[in-house]
Amino acid sequence: MLRVAHIAKSFGPVTALRDVSLHLKKGEVLGLLGDNGAGKSTLIKTICGFQKQDSGEMWLKGEPYEPRSVAHARSLGVDVVYQDLALIDELSVYQNMFLCREQRVTGLPFLDRRKMKKETREALDEIGIHLPRLDVPVARLSGGQRQSIAVARGVYSEADILLLDEPLAAMGAKEGAMILDLIARLKAEGKLSMIMILHNYVHVLESCDRVNMIVDGVITFDKPSAETSLAELTELVVDEYRRARSAAQAEEAAEAAQAAASPPE
Amino acid sequence: MSSTAASEPPASAPAGGPAQQRSAPRNAAVPALDLIKRFLTAREGSIVVVTVVLTLYFAFSLPASSNFVTVANFQNLLPYFAPYAILAAGEVFLMINAEIDLSVGGVYLFTPLMFYEFWNGGIPLLPSVILAIGVACVIGLVNGFIVAVLNVNSFIATLGTLFTASGLTLIVSHAEQLTTPGATVTSNTSGNHITTFASVFGAGIYSELIWALVIVIALQVALTRTRWGLHTVAIGSNRIAAAEAGVKVRWVLIRNFVVCAACAGLVGILESVRTDSISPDPGSATQLLLFAIAAAVIGGTLLAGGSGTVVGAMIGALFLGVLQDGLAIKGVNADYLDFYLGLAILLAMAANVYVGRVRRRSGVG
Repeated sequence: MLRVAHIAKSFGPVTALRDVSLHLKKGEVLGLLGDNGAGKSTLIKTICGFQKQDSGEMWLKGEPYEPRSVAHARSLGVDVVYQDLALIDELSVYQNMFLCREQRVTGLPFLDRRKMKKETREALDEIGIHLPRLDVPVARLSGGQRQSIAVARGVYSEADILLLDEPLAAMGAKEGAMILDLIARLKAEGKLSMIMILHNYVHVLESCDRVNMIVDGVITFDKPSAETSLAELTELVVDEYRRARSAAQAEEAAEAAQAAASPPE
Repeated sequence: MSSTAASEPPASAPAGGPAQQRSAPRNAAVPALDLIKRFLTAREGSIVVVTVVLTLYFAFSLPASSNFVTVANFQNLLPYFAPYAILAAGEVFLMINAEIDLSVGGVYLFTPLMFYEFWNGGIPLLPSVILAIGVACVIGLVNGFIVAVLNVNSFIATLGTLFTASGLTLIVSHAEQLTTPGATVTSNTSGNHITTFASVFGAGIYSELIWALVIVIALQVALTRTRWGLHTVAIGSNRIAAAEAGVKVRWVLIRNFVVCAACAGLVGILESVRTDSISPDPGSATQLLLFAIAAAVIGGTLLAGGSGTVVGAMIGALFLGVLQDGLAIKGVNADYLDFYLGLAILLAMAANVYVGRVRRRSGVG
């Protein structure tokens, strides 16, 4: 479905992605793990067309995939739910749901508010989110409600591939369970393929078919969820933490040695 | 605690419901109060009330002989209202973007001069007007490019184009006043005549008012009912999120700068036709620019971006017109005008902050 090969991306002196390759099968849910700053969000933003990679290639459904913009990626069937929610506070629930996919009255430049409200209501009902009013600015909603709208927006965008950057951030346990239920249901339908960034390993093992871990801009681990365990994932992270710490200590020692070798003038 | 809880609606009341719950009709007067509250907390509500109060104040405090509440006086007031309403309408779009356009003062001066130059070069009147407004649009395009593509702060970028356009006007015109083409009044035995061109473009008594109403309505509809307006609000509210969702931020910004400049160019031409003169006076242009921004602010558009209303700005402009006209009839020293205007802006700001808080509390959309 989607294949990413040797993607690299730097922001000035900071290298976010060094050499990332991954693949996603049709109907599969891929869990992406990794530390803060490991490059997960950069990878998502590259796949969804928000930014362009420095090098490397992507293929979508067997064709070379070079998204020029978020809108272009969306037209090719790749949509995204961002970590920072990407909701517009001043706009209402339904306006956010349809941002950049606005429905217009046939033949006129005017927005079809009734249709957008109706479809928003249906979409939210299906997920099980109950908001009394859809024309209030989303600034007035709770973090969980906002996140549900963001997820609902992605799910109902008619995408083939949905990228979810921490879909459970800012959510209570109950709302989180609702979103996981929705993801399970979508998985069962088998139409949508998803890449999901998650922090909770229990959620990963429960919701994803396969797990990838990204460390320092490289994918270092790739196993089906069924073949790994909470213990293994935890061990990986602990290892990584130890390695990072000893590396930092080594660097510090090297700097100290250097400072000692070259006395101040 | 328990006694108050008993009289409150059940805790399961949906979010956003408290306002409706509280205003449930306990007696007949409450729905009316709710309506009033809704009106006052609408973005345009407070400025409507203030303008009406100001008008009533002048109507009753001035002696009947002063003819404040007459058609003739309304006509007197129009030049102090319509130009600001049009300028503010364009400015509102940029202020919702959390940007500002100071160059409207320069565009206001430069466009009528270009109109004159095109006409002087042998082009007929109407095409000259269209070309001149095209020049205004180009200035808007330059503003938009500097702000949206080069990422320069709009205050600074348009400050630059303000002086550039004003300066060009002075250079080209040699700082001399010109007679507006096509606006000359011809007299014959049956009275004074102005051409159709002149009466459409500002010299007709209601010409500027009609332009203002048409532009305000068109831009208000664009703001609230079209994708362009929606994206304008989205950019002002959260530019990064808007871009991530796929809003073409640069394109919308550039478009808004062009619209704002076109409004300013049109006002320049309307005013030059109305006064029958093209006067390269940067001082008056700066005054006009600041009044237009004042009208937008008084009308409920915040500089912070994300919210604003074209209709509110028009009522803000009407407020300015009534204030100027009323004070003039009252015989108040003109020096007081700026003082009152300043107070009005401060009060409008305070009212906006307060109303915003009430709106958030009561869940009025």
